[in-house]
Amino acid sequence: MNYGFVIDNRACIGCHACSTACKSENEVPLGVARTWVKYTETGTFPDTQRHFQVTRCNHCANPPCVRICPTAAMYQRDDGIVEFDGDACIGCKACMQACPYDAIYIDPETHTAAKCHYCAHKVDLGLEPACAVVCPTHAILAGDLDDPESEIARVLSREKVSVRKPEQGTAPKVFYIEGAAVNLVPTATERAPESFAFADVMAAAPEDRPATAPGPQPQGLPSGGPITMGRTRAEHMVQVGYNQQHQVPWHWPVPAYLVTKGVGAGVFGLLALAFLLGIDFDPLTAVVGGLVALVGMAATTALLVYDLDQPKRFLYILMRPQWRSWLARGSLFLIGFSTLAGAWWALETAAWLGFAPASVAATARPILLVTGLPLALGAAVYTAFLFAQAEGRDLWQSPLLPFHLVVQAAVMGGATVLIMDAGMALPAGLGSVALWTLAIGLGLDAFLLLFGELGTSHASEVAARAAHRITHGPWRTLYWGGAIGLGHALPLALLAMPSPLAHAAAGVCAVVGLYCYEHAFVMAPQEIPNS
Amino acid sequence: MTAFPRSETFLERLLKLGRRAPKLEAQARSAERPQGPQMKQPTYADVEAQPKRLLEVKQRDGRMNRYPPPESWDDWVEWDSKAWPKKVPRRYTLVPTICFNCESACGLLAYVDKETFEIRKFEGNPAHPGSRGRNCAKGPATHNQTYDPERILYPLKRVGERGEGKWKRITWDEAVREIGAKMRASREKRLDGIMYHVGRPGEDHYANRAIKAWGVDGHNSHTNICSAAARAGYYLWSAGDRPSPDYAEAEAILLVSAHLESGHYFNPHAQRIMESKAKGGKLIVLDPRLSNTAARADCWLPTWPGSETTLLLSICNHLIQNDLYDREFVRRWVNWEQTLASLADWAETDELRALADAPRTFETFDRFLKLRYRDFTFERAAAEAQVPLDRVEQAAEIIARAGNRVAAHTWRSATMGNRGGWQVARALFFVNVLTGSVGTVGGTALNSWNKFVPLSYRNPRPFDAWNELHLPHEWPFAMYEMSFCLPHFLKEGRGDVDVYFTRVYNPMWINPDGFMWLDALRDEELMKCHVALTPTWNESAWFADYVLPMGHAGERHDLMSQETHAGRWIGFRQPVRRVAMERAGKEVEHTWEANPGEVWEEAEFWCAVTWAMDPDGALGARQFFESPDDPERPITQDEYWGWIFEHAVPGLPEAAAEEGLSPLAYMRKYGAFEVSKGASQPYAQEIERADTHEVDDLGRVLVDGNPIGVMVDGVPRAGFGTPSRKLELFSQTLFDWGWKEPEHVVPWPLESHVSPRAIDREAGEMLLLPTFRLPTLIHTRSANAKWLYEISHKNPVWMHPEDAARLGVKTGELIRVQTEIGAFVDKVWVTEGIKPGVIAMSHHLGRWRLQEQDGIGAGMSNLARLGEEGSARTLNIVHGAQAWASTDPDTSRVWWQDVGVHQNLTHAVHPDPLSGAHCWHQKALSVRKAAPGERHGDVWVDTEASMRVYREWHALSRSAVDHSPDGTRRPLWLKRPLKPVANAYRLPEKPFGR
Repeated sequence: MNYGFVIDNRACIGCHACSTACKSENEVPLGVARTWVKYTETGTFPDTQRHFQVTRCNHCANPPCVRICPTAAMYQRDDGIVEFDGDACIGCKACMQACPYDAIYIDPETHTAAKCHYCAHKVDLGLEPACAVVCPTHAILAGDLDDPESEIARVLSREKVSVRKPEQGTAPKVFYIEGAAVNLVPTATERAPESFAFADVMAAAPEDRPATAPGPQPQGLPSGGPITMGRTRAEHMVQVGYNQQHQVPWHWPVPAYLVTKGVGAGVFGLLALAFLLGIDFDPLTAVVGGLVALVGMAATTALLVYDLDQPKRFLYILMRPQWRSWLARGSLFLIGFSTLAGAWWALETAAWLGFAPASVAATARPILLVTGLPLALGAAVYTAFLFAQAEGRDLWQSPLLPFHLVVQAAVMGGATVLIMDAGMALPAGLGSVALWTLAIGLGLDAFLLLFGELGTSHASEVAARAAHRITHGPWRTLYWGGAIGLGHALPLALLAMPSPLAHAAAGVCAVVGLYCYEHAFVMAPQEIPNS
Repeated sequence: MTAFPRSETFLERLLKLGRRAPKLEAQARSAERPQGPQMKQPTYADVEAQPKRLLEVKQRDGRMNRYPPPESWDDWVEWDSKAWPKKVPRRYTLVPTICFNCESACGLLAYVDKETFEIRKFEGNPAHPGSRGRNCAKGPATHNQTYDPERILYPLKRVGERGEGKWKRITWDEAVREIGAKMRASREKRLDGIMYHVGRPGEDHYANRAIKAWGVDGHNSHTNICSAAARAGYYLWSAGDRPSPDYAEAEAILLVSAHLESGHYFNPHAQRIMESKAKGGKLIVLDPRLSNTAARADCWLPTWPGSETTLLLSICNHLIQNDLYDREFVRRWVNWEQTLASLADWAETDELRALADAPRTFETFDRFLKLRYRDFTFERAAAEAQVPLDRVEQAAEIIARAGNRVAAHTWRSATMGNRGGWQVARALFFVNVLTGSVGTVGGTALNSWNKFVPLSYRNPRPFDAWNELHLPHEWPFAMYEMSFCLPHFLKEGRGDVDVYFTRVYNPMWINPDGFMWLDALRDEELMKCHVALTPTWNESAWFADYVLPMGHAGERHDLMSQETHAGRWIGFRQPVRRVAMERAGKEVEHTWEANPGEVWEEAEFWCAVTWAMDPDGALGARQFFESPDDPERPITQDEYWGWIFEHAVPGLPEAAAEEGLSPLAYMRKYGAFEVSKGASQPYAQEIERADTHEVDDLGRVLVDGNPIGVMVDGVPRAGFGTPSRKLELFSQTLFDWGWKEPEHVVPWPLESHVSPRAIDREAGEMLLLPTFRLPTLIHTRSANAKWLYEISHKNPVWMHPEDAARLGVKTGELIRVQTEIGAFVDKVWVTEGIKPGVIAMSHHLGRWRLQEQDGIGAGMSNLARLGEEGSARTLNIVHGAQAWASTDPDTSRVWWQDVGVHQNLTHAVHPDPLSGAHCWHQKALSVRKAAPGERHGDVWVDTEASMRVYREWHALSRSAVDHSPDGTRRPLWLKRPLKPVANAYRLPEKPFGR
């Protein structure tokens, strides 16, 4: 058994019957859809065409949503249907980031992820999905791809078919006969429309395209989209007539979490490194440093839980983990690191308050710091692997990201310690380690940004488009002003000044700058259409 | 497209603390409402049962099953989809019905919970021969209509001023008694005081039978704003009301319509058109706009509106000049002898006149065709239609290659858009005639050959009355009632109405010149009592005296048949909750007891109101609604339909007996029955000729002077219902009734009121095409179907980029469109999918309500204010759609604001001089960027201009008073929905205005 769909565009008349039959069968609320008909109009009068595309979950043979789901709420059945269990979903929306097809949404009633599930509740009784039943023109074929007798298998073996984004390696199982490039490729249309032909657009995306220019344009970033059928709209129209609209899944809590996590891991890491370098620090430094690390991790956890659409279910990550998910794996790093940092802080604080002998703290310190260092590193870096699992956001799948996150943690460590230094007397060596860590970290980070993740060409058009949105598009002020100016140039200048206050200010700037950068980095790829 | 983040400033972005776009504040609507509480949302019972697995039943083509097998319909268990993957069983009884969301009458299968009797969903009915188990988007949306929180649940009576919006809930008994008394008072006084004005009939005979039982000329329809002109064209040829193409087997499909997305009968037709295409059939579509249908065409001809006749005649001419037409068919079935005989009277050239004296042979007729149509070259057609020459040639080639498998259809479109549009239909059927594709396999039949309307139980006799408000003497050829001019007629003082029923009809909204309707509906002297029979609030019902809630598709009894394909069937609409309750052993006396609230159905209502009107039977009306068993009580639905299924549907009793069911039980179980299959040519059927039959010089077989057939090559055959019993290329009737000119008597182009000559594009004039329809819209009844509105809720003005550049507007910007009588403001949708110079708007959006809390749902309508100053009328939009709190949590999730612009208010009435049909296309006197202060949705109209334009068009008509050859009002053979006795056809002694 291996279920899939064939959409026969030769027969599709764009009537939306599948859309309403699905709403009816699955009681899908307003504002979201499991299947919809995308309309694209192309051409020049009277050589004009309208292309329809029934658009939905591809029931991928290699489903990234299943891989990323921390609680196995999204799962693949033996018969190839990619199914979900709302009761197991914590609402982390990672699956929405992993899906390169915009197939998943958060149900406004249950606050859990949902999508086309091939009407598995009907299929189990031997009945076809509702969309295939209702279709007036038999343009939707459902059935077992593995059964050579089945209609769908026979059609598949005969016809020329295409799928959406095969380059994602997901092995989609919704096959289009006469698929139209302008519909299959989400970025084919020149720009985000301000309206559809018969429906409102919730809110238009800010314009980010450069003026059309002939000849070579930035690599991987053709102005007007990857499919060019003429130059200007009047000469050759390519516009979306109708499409389902999708909410951006992740907002400020995610970049904020990246910052707080960086602070937590960075402070601990810096103290541990300093300790290993032989810089001895007083108990108060250990107590305050440990506390800052802990607060950072607590804030990190709070933000993570806050961002869940089912926050009360956050323990499901531990109770029913799906270990291939970097959300589940990451939670181990977070818990492991927080536990260790907590133990260390508790011991140091007890010793400092006189509840425990100082010798115990002194003995445990090297062990805890050395054991904690890799955990801090893991806590800082795991997000890179999580982002890599988010296959719907190509920009996040940067090979530089793990290294980048280490550098960011170092920057946060340096910045935080310098801020601490302004308020309390830290050991002199520690201050200069922090200063040099921050300075070198910022330099490295700037290099990574300007010449690495954002400055170089990208392997895919959508990654290039997202990067372009950050550097030249609607996020450019936040990026150049916030991340580069406030976050790198200014702190580097401040560090050159011989004043602890200036150094602390540099630290503050670096923290704010990191948030600015992460905000743009998290938001921009989510704004690139996936359908 | 993903992600439409709100555009925000840098600071907002930084400071934004909310995770999602802010939700619209859902506003609670009043709980205490006269129409009853908001409709409760359905719940389904928890049961312990295991569903049956159908895996053992394999389809021949290797597919899964699509429907539960009929033997399990009465007790069907399915897993609850919402609880899934938890396995929660739900137990249903499956009750078939037919859809009410267009005239196709597609089958639906309602899943009714066996305990709560709530309807879980509507799927397709596999036993239905027309729709074959499949539906369009509107079928499943029947569930929305049923559970619309804003639906009217109880009968209402007005308590304040008309239109004030003050209502009192009354019982059905009160409603029936009061209305019945008014009907009786009117009936005792006159035979033209009761008017039943129907929008969506949704059934074939029941209401008409009631009107006949009352003995009044009371039938008024919406057909003259819908399809009357196309019907006129077909009728003049063939006495057939409309085409019934056999698309599935066609080689060429020629559409002056958009049957892949709208029209009668969209879903059944679309299925079969695409079937033909899959087999290699070619689709030709005439439409100035890239409709979805045009998008699927092999040959799209974006004609300038009004040029269609010329283009079609160029195809005809190609067949004629190249001897590619079916000579044998034309020789046998066209009235060519009569045509040749008439030439002396009307032919305008010497060449043609000479043929009058030539031998009356088919060769002479062939010569006539070649001379008469020789000027319709491809070049001329391409130039007039402004389409590429090669496409015209391509279309003609496709037709020429298709043999007698040409399926052609037009319904509204160009026939209803243009003055003289009836000639478009005539030219289109000419293609069928020339290719011999009349009733052939893959050809085009006439509707009655594929439609089965059983004789009703106790058929009332025709009435002896003529309502001047329906068919005034000025338009003797009006195919249907001059319904859209009713307010103009009333204003002229032609009469008044005692009891005015609107039935699934929203005349003020849907007709042109709605402000004239508003004036009429408010006038208690002219419209003495207005009873709105409606499943949902509408703009006109707001001004009614009684608002009576009638059921949706799953809430009523109706019998319907439609000529969807080559074959005949009947479909049975049922109150599915009532049927489910009766299956469970509950007794239900009236359907309103089983429906939500006290929603009723017309079938029982007409029976009750007729008894109330004629309690003692003195008016002769009651007898038709008496029980066959006991004349002292009203007939029940079971008795009525049981009688019909048993006595009037051939084959049904036998099919039922095979299953051990009564005919009624069979129909209650399957909801449909196939009466016959396949294409037929009843006109070619040989008739028995008795010695007493005479044959006249036209070859007609006569009985007592009345033609019953025609001699063809020496064999008596049934022929057509026309006076000549042949297909009438030349119409003697038109000639006799004053339409003597060459451009009228045979298929010929007439200049449209929006021809290129009439539209001065240099001066900024444009052509407004206001009639296209989206596949998700149910005329004005989509507004209680949330799934449909979510997909399509607004009607921006389609405009070509050239025009947009000239006006300096971009998609989403506002323009002001000025018509002959007013103006409206709407947004623009710039697209290459429309002809330059033409702007187009989808027809059914722009609904409004006058009170924030009541009327049409807040997510589906604008809140509007009406204004009046002298003859000026305004509609101003206070705000667009909003989320609102209701029993349905979905209403708080309404995310759209633009619910369209009510353009029809600004349309002048354009009664076609001959067919009487409203010619929909509007001349846009100016189209410009909206000025500051002009707001989206605002409408302004001068009703004095309304009357002026009406009078201009009225002046073009040719009255029976001046042209009737025999002192009657109208050619007797022309169709009328309800024909009075011949005596009623006599012209009145004092015709209005004379």
